[in-house]
Amino acid sequence: MKNTITFFLLLFLPVLAFSATLKVGKGEQFTSIKLAVAAAKSGDTILVYKGLYKEGTIDLEKSLTLIGIDRPIIDGNLEGEIITLRADHIVLKGFKLINSGRDEIRSVAAIHIYSSADSVIDNNILENNHFGIYVQRGIRCLISNNKITTNRGTSEENIGDGIHLLGSREIWVKNNYITGHKDGIYLEKNVKCYVYHNLSRANLRYGLHFMFSNDSVYTSNVFDNNGAGVAVMYAMNVSMYNNKFINNWGDSVFGLLLKEISYSKIKGNVFQSNTTGIFADGATKIDFYNNQFEDNGWAIKINSNCMENRVMRNDFINNTFDISTNGSTVMNDFRLNYWDKYEGYDLNKDKIGDIPFHPLSLYSVLVEQNPSVMLLFRSFLVDMLDRTEKILPSLTPESFVDDQPLMKPVNYKTDS
Amino acid sequence: MKLFRNSIIAASMITLVACAEKGPQEISVGKDQCDNCKMTISEPKYATQLLTEKGRLYKFDDISCLQDYEISNAETTVNAKTYVADFPTGDFFETNTATLIKGGEIKSPMGGNTQAFKDKSTAEKAAASLGATLVTK
Repeated sequence: MKNTITFFLLLFLPVLAFSATLKVGKGEQFTSIKLAVAAAKSGDTILVYKGLYKEGTIDLEKSLTLIGIDRPIIDGNLEGEIITLRADHIVLKGFKLINSGRDEIRSVAAIHIYSSADSVIDNNILENNHFGIYVQRGIRCLISNNKITTNRGTSEENIGDGIHLLGSREIWVKNNYITGHKDGIYLEKNVKCYVYHNLSRANLRYGLHFMFSNDSVYTSNVFDNNGAGVAVMYAMNVSMYNNKFINNWGDSVFGLLLKEISYSKIKGNVFQSNTTGIFADGATKIDFYNNQFEDNGWAIKINSNCMENRVMRNDFINNTFDISTNGSTVMNDFRLNYWDKYEGYDLNKDKIGDIPFHPLSLYSVLVEQNPSVMLLFRSFLVDMLDRTEKILPSLTPESFVDDQPLMKPVNYKTDS
Repeated sequence: MKLFRNSIIAASMITLVACAEKGPQEISVGKDQCDNCKMTISEPKYATQLLTEKGRLYKFDDISCLQDYEISNAETTVNAKTYVADFPTGDFFETNTATLIKGGEIKSPMGGNTQAFKDKSTAEKAAASLGATLVTK
């Protein structure tokens, strides 16, 4: 025990002895952050006191700790990037970064990680930037507690993403608030990323966008009122737990878009008030467990190219259509879900309905094939057709069935 | 008489439909969906379009989506015309007259990373400044 203590003392003493603290501010040692950065050695700490700093792009090429005290403001003056990270072990805390530049082709961000391992970007406010935080070749970085907002985006064309991860691994994105950007959080070609407890609201395209990013997890996030909720595309092994997908309204808008994705789990999520809760195209081997679908236009649209998915123990409450599909092949397993449209009975009291439930209504099949049939929605004719179809199925695939529908909703708890 | 009138109406309808303009359409940004990847099209300068022999128009957000679609729907896209956007102006024109540059710093929605130019010299200039290479056909 004593040996380990002395070992650690010996290990850290040199660091404690030689790392300096540099101060930036009015009447302090340095008046500009750039000068302090130039004078600092790797491992030093720079304290930046309250004030407005306009210095162009600050390149961090050493392992520094930058701490803002009383939230100093760094203004990018609408030209270029504000802070770039090009070394490992950089800590950036407590700043307010405003007005980054923009470029049509290059991605200009307020904080741009070009290549960095073990860096921390914590507790910053980013306002009115093109991209907020752009991580390129980052390893084991933490992005937490940042507030990223912008009013510059008038259309999806001329604004960047809030947090953009590209070609990185093991990045943690935690407790951030993002609004006004193109995509709230965009993961492109990453592996093993963890997105936890963020609030992504009113972004122009997607709340969260996954592309070619395998082995990742996103849990306990809220995606509210974005152009569309979340898109998970061309990925494998993505876990989606306990998120909320709410208020994504519009033509061809989804709560969650799954495209060419496999071996994933969607569990404990809430899909509420979306045009389409989940749209699945080319999704295979996905488990949909314990989700709640409430007040959506379509709860799930699952194309017939989706295979070997399991939809179990979900609640379908007050949706216009529970399920829709575009073909007649059924290669998915629907079981033990609660459907509020179920009109069966339970004589043996095992809490499972005695007659199977066909979640695919004739009308939803007709609408899928010919959208203008929507005109007849809630008309007597359609009700008649649906009733007839229930008794004598003709158009809807016979095998699209929940053999064990639950009588009561799954006892559902959300932790937000 | 009634049959005659109806047939005239029907005939004029058919001609109207047949005369509808065949060609690329404006992309409505943030509304139109890519027919291959289902994403909303957000960068019209990278968008592409495909007009089938029968006159159906498909829109894509990236040249790689167009190519994917052509490969996976080979029978319906045979003899189809494809259109790309001229990068400086955003106007659509036929792909076979375009100069394409690829790679470098170009970043397009679905990773095709290709820009199209009407004018070859503009394309060469852009390629030089972005570190991209000209795609040779």
